[in-house]
Amino acid sequence: MREKETTLYLGPQHPGITGNMMVKLKVAGDTVVKAETHIGYLHRAFEKLMEQRTWTQSFPIVCRICVPEPDPNEENLARAIEEIEGREVPERAKYIRVLVLELARLSSYQLWMAGQSGSMGLYTMPQWTVGDRDYILDLFEELTGGRIYHMYIWAGGVRRDLPDGFKGRVLKVMDYLESRLKDYDKLLFQNALFRKRAEGVGIIPKEKAIEWGVVGSPLRGCGIKHDVRIDEPYEVYDKLEFEVPTHEGNDIWSRAMVRRQEIEQSISIVRQVLDKMPGGDYYNKVPNPLTWRIPPGDAYVKTESVRGEFGYYVVSDGSDKPRRVHVRGPAYAHGITVLEEVLKGANIADVSFIMNSLGTCPPEMER
Amino acid sequence: MLEKENKFSEQIQKTFHSAKIEIKRSKRISVQLRSDLIPPFLSYAKELLDFKHLSHMSCVDWLEDNELELVFILMNYDTSIQIIAKTRIERENAQFVSLKKFWPQLETYEREFHEMYGINFEGNDRLGEFILEDWNNKPPMLRDFDTRKYANETYYQRPGREDAQNVRETVSKHSGEEVPEFAKKYSIRNIDDE
Amino acid sequence: MVTPNINEKDKLRIREIVENFARKHSLWVLAYGTGCGAIEIPPTMTSRYDAERFGIRGSATPRQADVLLITGYLSTKTLKRVIRTYEQMQAPKYVIGFGSCTINGGMYWDSYNTINALDRYLPVDVYINGCMPRPEAVIQGFIKLQNIIAEGKGNGAEKYQENLEWYRENQKKIIHNWQMPDYNW
Repeated sequence: MREKETTLYLGPQHPGITGNMMVKLKVAGDTVVKAETHIGYLHRAFEKLMEQRTWTQSFPIVCRICVPEPDPNEENLARAIEEIEGREVPERAKYIRVLVLELARLSSYQLWMAGQSGSMGLYTMPQWTVGDRDYILDLFEELTGGRIYHMYIWAGGVRRDLPDGFKGRVLKVMDYLESRLKDYDKLLFQNALFRKRAEGVGIIPKEKAIEWGVVGSPLRGCGIKHDVRIDEPYEVYDKLEFEVPTHEGNDIWSRAMVRRQEIEQSISIVRQVLDKMPGGDYYNKVPNPLTWRIPPGDAYVKTESVRGEFGYYVVSDGSDKPRRVHVRGPAYAHGITVLEEVLKGANIADVSFIMNSLGTCPPEMER
Repeated sequence: MLEKENKFSEQIQKTFHSAKIEIKRSKRISVQLRSDLIPPFLSYAKELLDFKHLSHMSCVDWLEDNELELVFILMNYDTSIQIIAKTRIERENAQFVSLKKFWPQLETYEREFHEMYGINFEGNDRLGEFILEDWNNKPPMLRDFDTRKYANETYYQRPGREDAQNVRETVSKHSGEEVPEFAKKYSIRNIDDE
Repeated sequence: MVTPNINEKDKLRIREIVENFARKHSLWVLAYGTGCGAIEIPPTMTSRYDAERFGIRGSATPRQADVLLITGYLSTKTLKRVIRTYEQMQAPKYVIGFGSCTINGGMYWDSYNTINALDRYLPVDVYINGCMPRPEAVIQGFIKLQNIIAEGKGNGAEKYQENLEWYRENQKKIIHNWQMPDYNW
């Protein structure tokens, strides 16, 4: 007996969606036949706004493009301006930038753990991880003045130096997080129910992964080892020692294993940075930021964020306002092309589970 | 130093004679082409030179030259070298061929450029409403669409913003410097808007 | 024995006080993250800042919710869905405007896709300013809403129904393709 096909709107108001977007599903019984992504609910026209603000005024706007992890945006814009203009950044500023980027990665991993387990029904995990993430946000508030949006990385360095005694506080938070990893393991990563639910679900075929535009942890979960930090090292990543884990098996379980190992690597990078930090200047001063002009040229820079390769294409025409800033978030390919392919044949109960694992974040898809 | 980039650059120049190639820095090669050579160049780079990953596609509006510039950014995963391929097409009634069979994510980029710049991609049957809803004005990312005027007319602004001043004019009054001519020509915002 | 003689007006007033006491201690917030302010709601609801001790918890559908929390800016596409969601909620219902973008547009005041003043389209009870407001500020906003309810002034639903033509005129100026059901409850 063939089941009747109905249309379901997993709409903008839904407790299981990662943000404000809609997935239109055609369902036969319990299985998804066809999926279509609709975005546009968060469009603020950032790129048009940036054409009317000066270079200095663009920095507070750029943080708000990616809501869970705002620091790669500022880093990309700063590095693009430095590449077009040819400006040097002092050594200490590079180490401080790496410290801020890795702390933002840690807080974003905790949000991922909260989303992944909340969509499965395990509600203890969000209470633990979102509560622990607050200790990292306290560190950010002491360093930069804001909990979520920092506006700290500037073209030419960082805005202010580290406060006294900051190193001791960061190390204390890192020790605390390492001791909590054992509890997270017992509850989520060694949980037999999670393993049974996650294995064999949300499969991306390995030979088509690069052609579909998959980047970041989903690509490493297919067994392909690529990471912007080792392909094209930026800031001081070529002087630090860390590994890039991969895992075979192209499903949700292998992506979760990859991310679990990356948390340990991030904590080790933070400790190395605090050990090796040199003294010196933290800012290469820009003469009069209000009438600052960049010579004509263009650049493409990229950073590794939690979800993958985050790219910026910046064009300057010689005036004091940007000509074109085009943002390429890693969720642009994951959320529309890859999601529509992976959801074919999935169960309705797994739709939210798959979306959390791929990392679909609507603010960076539609800016 | 730069030997792999030089090798790729020689191979491309031998096959596409009219291409202008420039090595900007390590791991970045910039190739400027005529607009009818872009489909064969992308297929050549993807199959023969192993640039299998499409990082990005972008579009820039050059209102003064009456042209739109399309930019394709490819990456080779073995050597981590990126090619930035640029071409220019006409601005009025812009047309281009749809290349979504090479990389499926190009379909999303083409839908967005059709809505924001008004470019028609032949072969893509999913063009239509994507990000904006019920938009009946000109495509908004073109440089002659004034977003501030549109926002002031359509949306109610709460009073109290009258003290927001134009930054360039205020700074030039304080420091005694003149606002130079090229800055006035390239930026679309008019000084006497407020 | 003397029984106290309470007239009808006082009986109604006592009933109202008891009802308001019950309502203000159980506010259910609709699970809808309309803008970028939604990143500060999980810290407010979980273990560190614990909003559940005030009776605030999340609700999945609009039919069971009391409070609509507009977290941040609203694009025109979202405004249409928010209006439909607001009209599906049952009275008494309250709206909280969260962030500077609901007050005067914030940093997106000259964008072609975001609205600038929220109370031209929906009746707002409390504004919380900041970008982002801290979780303590969010809890203070909820306490202010509780005081408004206790005084008997939390009547946004009646205000919407009385001035429906004015709100509809403002909404239809922005939303061109009006395909929504008539509001008749």
